[in-house]
Amino acid sequence: MTDRQLAFVFDLNKCLGCQTCTISCKTLWTDQPGMEYMWWNIVNTMPGRGTPRDRDEMGGGFDAEGRAQAGVLPSAKDFGEAWDFNYEEVFYGGKGQSAYLHPRSPSANGEDEAPDWGPNWDEDQGAGEYPNCYYFYLPTICMHCTEPACLAACPRQAISKREEDGIVLIDEDRCDGYRFCMEACPYKRIYFNPDRFISQKCVMCFARLEQGVAPACVRQCPGRVRHFGYLDDEENDVFKLVKAWKVAIPLHPEFGTEPNVYYVPPLAPPRFDENGDIDEENPRIPMDYLRSLFGPAVDQALATLKLEMEKTRQGEKSELMDILIAYKWRDMFIPFVEDPGELSRPVPKS
Amino acid sequence: MRVGRVDARDDELLSPESTAWQEAPVNEVVLSPTPLELQPTEYVRVSRSGRPYGLVSSMNVSALHNGNSVFFRLVWQDDSEDGAMKDINQFVDAAAVMFPIAEDAPLISMGIKGKPVNVWMWRADWARPKNIAAEGMGTTERRDDPALSSAARHTEGRWDLVVGRSLVHRSAPRGTVALAPGTVSKIAFAVWQGSEQERAGLKAFSPDWQVLELDA
Repeated sequence: MTDRQLAFVFDLNKCLGCQTCTISCKTLWTDQPGMEYMWWNIVNTMPGRGTPRDRDEMGGGFDAEGRAQAGVLPSAKDFGEAWDFNYEEVFYGGKGQSAYLHPRSPSANGEDEAPDWGPNWDEDQGAGEYPNCYYFYLPTICMHCTEPACLAACPRQAISKREEDGIVLIDEDRCDGYRFCMEACPYKRIYFNPDRFISQKCVMCFARLEQGVAPACVRQCPGRVRHFGYLDDEENDVFKLVKAWKVAIPLHPEFGTEPNVYYVPPLAPPRFDENGDIDEENPRIPMDYLRSLFGPAVDQALATLKLEMEKTRQGEKSELMDILIAYKWRDMFIPFVEDPGELSRPVPKS
Repeated sequence: MRVGRVDARDDELLSPESTAWQEAPVNEVVLSPTPLELQPTEYVRVSRSGRPYGLVSSMNVSALHNGNSVFFRLVWQDDSEDGAMKDINQFVDAAAVMFPIAEDAPLISMGIKGKPVNVWMWRADWARPKNIAAEGMGTTERRDDPALSSAARHTEGRWDLVVGRSLVHRSAPRGTVALAPGTVSKIAFAVWQGSEQERAGLKAFSPDWQVLELDA
């Protein structure tokens, strides 16, 4: 446990799956050689296999007694390789309209072979049978866990958790590329940079935070999904949603790492029964499925959300609904409200 | 282990195919897996429990010097050649020789605070070996050392490797062993099999220091 902890709340009822968070992170942090396939932030359609593929079955984390659990080291293909495209053929090949742009699998060694996996490959799949189909979006980043399995696994003490804000960082000078951290992370949010032979992951935009600017994924989210701040700051949305209202809960609490990304679980419309009538008792997203992701706390979280929604329908005021609607965008990440566009930048070296 | 003095050029001795090696005595060094209970983190212990590693059981070692440089020829069985990392979940074959800097530096922990060791580590995808200083597990520091060189081939299911270094110690990185003709030192060996995802402390090693005598 550190002195303070910065935390995120992602409201899954508002996430559109647009990947603007993903792209904001990509352009800011992972545009260098060796990072092509990295998505420190990724949004997955659920139910789905996740990124990397089948990540929930890859092990890691701790058991109920706090013992480390063995994990699998994903391949680049599991994460989803950076595809090649046939730009040369389409733009300069003299084939006119007959050539069309399409991705090629980089592991096919130059053969024109279509990829069979990628980040959020199962985007359009979801689950359920018509008329009870369902899906929702699940964004994930490094969870900056209170008990980081990556930190515990590293034989070189290359991973640390900052006392002042709980950010988990990999020291790129100490890292020797052993990748035990990648095996041990149960959320599989650590990537390996083969060019630099080091492991890399979300750094919570710590350089921005030090200038009072919220992380890029938080600021850029067009859906106002992401609340951010200190977990002990009673004026902050994160405290209110996690500690006071208890509607934001961790993903896979059974992994035992005490993650610091919290999720407002998805509400769903009721099912249609076999007669085509509305079955008010059962939401279209099965509760057992949600419990498998968020644990038993999901029942109470959803009940609270429904109760507060009902209040507003009756014309009453609900502090919780006001927070989740996020009328004032800047209030979502107090005190990191500086506008990066207005900060003075160091003069670039010529 | 005797390091015979021969009249041969550095580039001749660096080649495992060189005739210079034909006369060199071969020492069979017994290797065993590093103890699971000594792996530095619980994760490594748990994840490799029931998943064997360090199964290369012996290595044939010859050693020669020519007054300018010293060379170690290491030959060991490894059916799969993992010479380069083709995917991020793969590891590369490697081997190392280790010398105590403090005379009583413990081998099994790669030295200890105040009692350092020096390692020359070869990895199949490196242009040349790395010079490593360590004072205990997890403390290794890799340095580039232009005085180190290596040549390796993988034939008939075996790695055949020569690692060498100039005997000139003057501009060596701090913590480099000083070997000189006519002196006695100690040496130990380790091997990592990439195909078994061996890296860090997961390896086969020679559990005892071998005495290393350099001919005058």
